[in-house]
Amino acid sequence: MITQMQVKGLMFDPYNNAYIVILRDDEQSEMLPIWVGKSEASSISLALENVAPPRPMTHDFMKSYLDAFDAKVISVVITDLNENTYFSKIHLTYADSEYTVDSRPSDAIALALRSHAPIFASESVIRKQTSEELDQWLENLKPEDFGKLDS
Amino acid sequence: MPASQEKESLIQLTVDRVVEDSNTDTRIIVLARSDGGAEHFMVWVGASEGEAIKRAVDAAITPRPMSHDLVKSFGEHFGIKTERVVLTDVKGSTYYATVFLENKGVGRTIDARPSDAIALALRCHAPIYVTQDVWKRRSGQNLNAWLSKLETKEV
Repeated sequence: MITQMQVKGLMFDPYNNAYIVILRDDEQSEMLPIWVGKSEASSISLALENVAPPRPMTHDFMKSYLDAFDAKVISVVITDLNENTYFSKIHLTYADSEYTVDSRPSDAIALALRSHAPIFASESVIRKQTSEELDQWLENLKPEDFGKLDS
Repeated sequence: MPASQEKESLIQLTVDRVVEDSNTDTRIIVLARSDGGAEHFMVWVGASEGEAIKRAVDAAITPRPMSHDLVKSFGEHFGIKTERVVLTDVKGSTYYATVFLENKGVGRTIDARPSDAIALALRCHAPIYVTQDVWKRRSGQNLNAWLSKLETKEV
């Protein structure tokens, strides 16, 4: 089972000096936070805000690479979570064949947003995430921890 | 213009090292001429872009594929070859690069920042070139002394 997720936004995690991409399902009943680095967060933020930078950023370059040969991103799936490392798969079509490529979720999400491709999460990943620990962690966050990225 | 003639006007470069400019949180990619010429070509890039190049120079293995590893992986799945990258233009302090790709005899070029072009070229063992014109207009022609000072300061 996989559930379609929407990127709801980005948060700064002051404890780990990292950023969190918040994914939610359409019913708003499930939430999946994904910790990413600063440059990955910035790339996702640019795509969310529809900002075209003066020069192509890495994921714009990635998209150009695929566009050059008419390869299309069909969907991305966050598949597994293992000791805080997430795994995802990018499904593509190229020359009438289908391909599945292993990636980090940050690259998969940044590319999916630029390709207008849906993002899914496998049930097991969502289950692992809805732990008490996470709920507690989120409760402890202050409103000022939420906000837009400045870069 | 035939490809051979086009290449004659290019200078091949190799990545010599990546230097941290701790004052500005940027990285300097120091490229050396493959023909052994003493002068260098330097490109300022962001910290994460510089690290992506440094990982390739060091042949560092990461637990998960980083962004340029993913681009390389797409190429391996589809049979796309990165033939070469060329630093084609400079406007102000911004350099422009073109990545030459090939698949089943079909060639394509894509516009890129030098940092992405170099990060991909290193992973695909593709040659890096600069045009004569951009080479002549490079910044920091006499920066070698300054650079060594910067490197000494860090130690």
